[in-house]
Amino acid sequence: MKKNKLKLAIVALLGLAFSIPQLHAVKIGVLHSLSGTMAISETSLKDVVMMAVGEINEAGGVLGEKVEAVVVDPASDWPLFAEKAKELITEEKVAVTFGCWTSVSRKSCLPVFEEENALLFYPVQYEGEEQSLNVFYTAASPNQQLVPAAEYMAKEMGCKKFYLLGTDYVFPRTANKVLKAYLKSEGVPDENVMEEYTPFHHQDYQTIVSKVKEFAASGDACILSTINGDSNVPFYKEFANQGLTSDDCPIMAFSVSEDELRAMDVPPLVGHLAAWNYFQSVKSPGNAAFVKSFKKFCVEAGLPGGAKRVTCDPIEAAYFGVYVWKAAVEKCGSFDVDKVRKAVYGLEFDAPGGKKSMHPTNQHTLKPVYIGEILKSGQFKIVYASDGLVSPDSYSSYLWPDGDYPKPTGGPNGDGSL
Amino acid sequence: MGFITISFAQDEDIITVETEGETKAQPNGLLSQLPILASGDDELIAEAITKLAKTGDTRLENFFELYRQGSVYNWPTEDGEVRIVVNLETEMDDDFNEFAPLVEPITGKPFLIGGKQAKPDLFDLEDISPGRKLRSLVNSSKFLIRLFSPDYETKISGVKKCGDPPFMVEALGSLEDISKDPGEKEKIRWTASESMALIDFGKKTEEYTGLTGRVEALAKLGALKSLRALARIASFEKEIQELQSSGKISSTESGSLLKKTTSIRKDLESHKGSVELAGNLFRGVSYGSVLILIALGLAITFGLMGVINMAHGELVMIGAYATYEVQMYFGHSPENSVNEYYFFALPIAFIASAAVGLLMEKFVVRHLYNRPLESLLATWGVSLLLIQLVRLRYGDNIGVNAPTWARGGYEISQDVVLPFARLYLLALSAACVAFIYFIIRKTRKGMLIRATMQNRDMASSLGVRTRNVDRFTFALGSGIAGVAGYGWTIVGGVTPDMGTKLFIVDSFLVVVAGGVGELVGVLCSGLGIGVITKLIEPLEFGGFTIGPVWGKVILLALIVAFIQYKPAGLFAPKGRLGDKK
Repeated sequence: MKKNKLKLAIVALLGLAFSIPQLHAVKIGVLHSLSGTMAISETSLKDVVMMAVGEINEAGGVLGEKVEAVVVDPASDWPLFAEKAKELITEEKVAVTFGCWTSVSRKSCLPVFEEENALLFYPVQYEGEEQSLNVFYTAASPNQQLVPAAEYMAKEMGCKKFYLLGTDYVFPRTANKVLKAYLKSEGVPDENVMEEYTPFHHQDYQTIVSKVKEFAASGDACILSTINGDSNVPFYKEFANQGLTSDDCPIMAFSVSEDELRAMDVPPLVGHLAAWNYFQSVKSPGNAAFVKSFKKFCVEAGLPGGAKRVTCDPIEAAYFGVYVWKAAVEKCGSFDVDKVRKAVYGLEFDAPGGKKSMHPTNQHTLKPVYIGEILKSGQFKIVYASDGLVSPDSYSSYLWPDGDYPKPTGGPNGDGSL
Repeated sequence: MGFITISFAQDEDIITVETEGETKAQPNGLLSQLPILASGDDELIAEAITKLAKTGDTRLENFFELYRQGSVYNWPTEDGEVRIVVNLETEMDDDFNEFAPLVEPITGKPFLIGGKQAKPDLFDLEDISPGRKLRSLVNSSKFLIRLFSPDYETKISGVKKCGDPPFMVEALGSLEDISKDPGEKEKIRWTASESMALIDFGKKTEEYTGLTGRVEALAKLGALKSLRALARIASFEKEIQELQSSGKISSTESGSLLKKTTSIRKDLESHKGSVELAGNLFRGVSYGSVLILIALGLAITFGLMGVINMAHGELVMIGAYATYEVQMYFGHSPENSVNEYYFFALPIAFIASAAVGLLMEKFVVRHLYNRPLESLLATWGVSLLLIQLVRLRYGDNIGVNAPTWARGGYEISQDVVLPFARLYLLALSAACVAFIYFIIRKTRKGMLIRATMQNRDMASSLGVRTRNVDRFTFALGSGIAGVAGYGWTIVGGVTPDMGTKLFIVDSFLVVVAGGVGELVGVLCSGLGIGVITKLIEPLEFGGFTIGPVWGKVILLALIVAFIQYKPAGLFAPKGRLGDKK
């Protein structure tokens, strides 16, 4: 653990260096893994939060105070998320924290946020089944991504058979539970739904693809993929190499965004689909400006990838999270967690991807749903956009058919009451 | 319907003005139909699409795809006239301002205004993407047009797709022509007959006579050994049972139908069984060849030299990144393929990893030859260092684009497809094994290596420069690891920590199970692990499939049991490690 102490010391020194010249500054915490497994995904989120902070400071800060970001590195080590969160809240006394990617990291630091009654903005789509008064979820809940996507495959693409393929951990397992319940409610017989999981970092997809081929021989099958991270590359490559195309069996992916596509050999993926609440190709003046400033920021900050960096759903969600917090603080005129929380409820705001709003009670975000087809350049052509914003469910109505949802947790009294 | 004015600045088939209701199908007059797409009237558009599809012009296949996607726009002129253009993606200038470069709808050439490609602001383009009904019409029209394509891949996908739901009855005529055309490839003609029978088999009917017709079509499919038919028999049988229970057909009728379907299904299932067995064996051998390739380098550095080299995975990773660098140097990309890069990348990947291996040996490993525990820690440190260096240089995401010939596969017998990428890896793996065997067994250098590893002091006293031999051997092992990384790029992804996550455990597994110190051990255990994994993975027990998660568990349990029984692995070690006991 010597390494961590060293890192702590460096972070503390940096923090000190930054805090000296600014007398009036409000601290915010940034809790994203910058090393280890999840660094691939989370570094971009740290970058975009820093970009938002820079923009806000340039425009005069929040309530007249400069925003100072305290960046810590939980190193993809789940228990370390809790430790670092505690450090941010009790030692750095941050007003709010932006962070986490995997559900297990969020679950790990959740008790700390609830115990200290602090606020976390969580920017990644997840499996739902949670509603803590100490977290604002700025990305999709299952009904804002999974269900519309399955509906699109069934109704638009005419698919009758569904192969649910995922990496073996909590998001795919819960997501597939929701998907299966949805498909059942649509009258899809059990024998037309297959479910299969692979371990993390699985690389040899030969057997699975040959099974898919057999499954899709009837010509009306599709894959709903919750395959995560580096397994996607060999999966899509094997799929194409065994002679399958998106005409034979389209793949609808829930964890493949523009950022992941940068690491893939795209031609075999062309024509496959992904469902998100934002794409870089969303056509709006606000988004054009956002993409432009993100690329500029990456070039100027000398980040790897430079001008080739792309925006994607979690990047947008991490970015507007900072602005939602700012708007709420300005609305209630205070940095106090309880006041800010109340101000966030029902807040309407302009995100890069268009107008969105926060749910009046359940901590999640109302968002549009988009379905995109992968293009040769690694961008998406949007082929479906929901009619307006889709309201989020913290608990899926497909998993709680009697409507008797669990109560929220955390909050000022620690018991889920406001 | 409104008055439609058209003006085109394109080629010969220009029609300047047409009036209401009088749209005449001009010979080669594809362009005359296009402006209707912007009319907003679904019936007119559907009519126009049908007319377009009837021309059989193969350039339309791509256009329909673009239109379905919503990449076709109306870019009105200043006078408000309709101009149909295509924009697939936007472009950015150095200041990241976005433009939409336009191409002509049918020809796909740049849309020129004043001699330059037009690049208006995206917001000037009017979205005319079709609704759901039109999209499905365009989609089926696309497959119909594919039937006339000169390109084999495109044509066969069209032929195949016509036999999938929703069945394209209107394609039957063309399919029959194709199936009888002696100029066509065997596979296309076979697929055309299959699709025709599938269309007949897919006809919805509730009459007994109709059902017997479908069973006849199914019998044809059975004779063709069509696996696509097999996937559809179960739902057909269910249909028959439902019709019987609702009283539409009698139980004797359903009984005779079911008897026939069952016998056809059994035939097809036995065909599927042999296809699967062949497929599983090939997949096992192919997986084994990947394992051998990644473990081969370790078999030298750990097996022969006894260095517990935790940075082996990173040497593989360096080979993969070297391949990426070569690709960048040659400018190979999806748009512009320069396949030669892949052949040049092979020696470069070897040299890059060998060089890193040489440095590692000089600064770290050589001080630790007799201290396995320290060498474990030190090489692990080196591996962390290498990961971080690569991460700083490349960021986290890069993509190696496989050469175009590595896509697709070779159909060795009906339904048994061997992907080219896998075949290449198989050959590469065999070549590497042969290369190492040749060096170790047939050259003077190899003799010196064997002498040094078996008895260093004796070799040294006989005048062998053991330092040089160590250096050479370690670099050789590292270089082979680099070649593994190079081969890996055509089937897998490239990330800085791929070594630790994907390779190191499997490599040690193969080397230890095979017997430390013997190349033939690596060969046998690599193939053995590959084939066993691929044979247990697809097994099913009453609805429970073993799958990759349990497959891995079972495999590891088998290896643990095997190591209990034979602690030294398949082939007992000789050489320095063997001597120590």
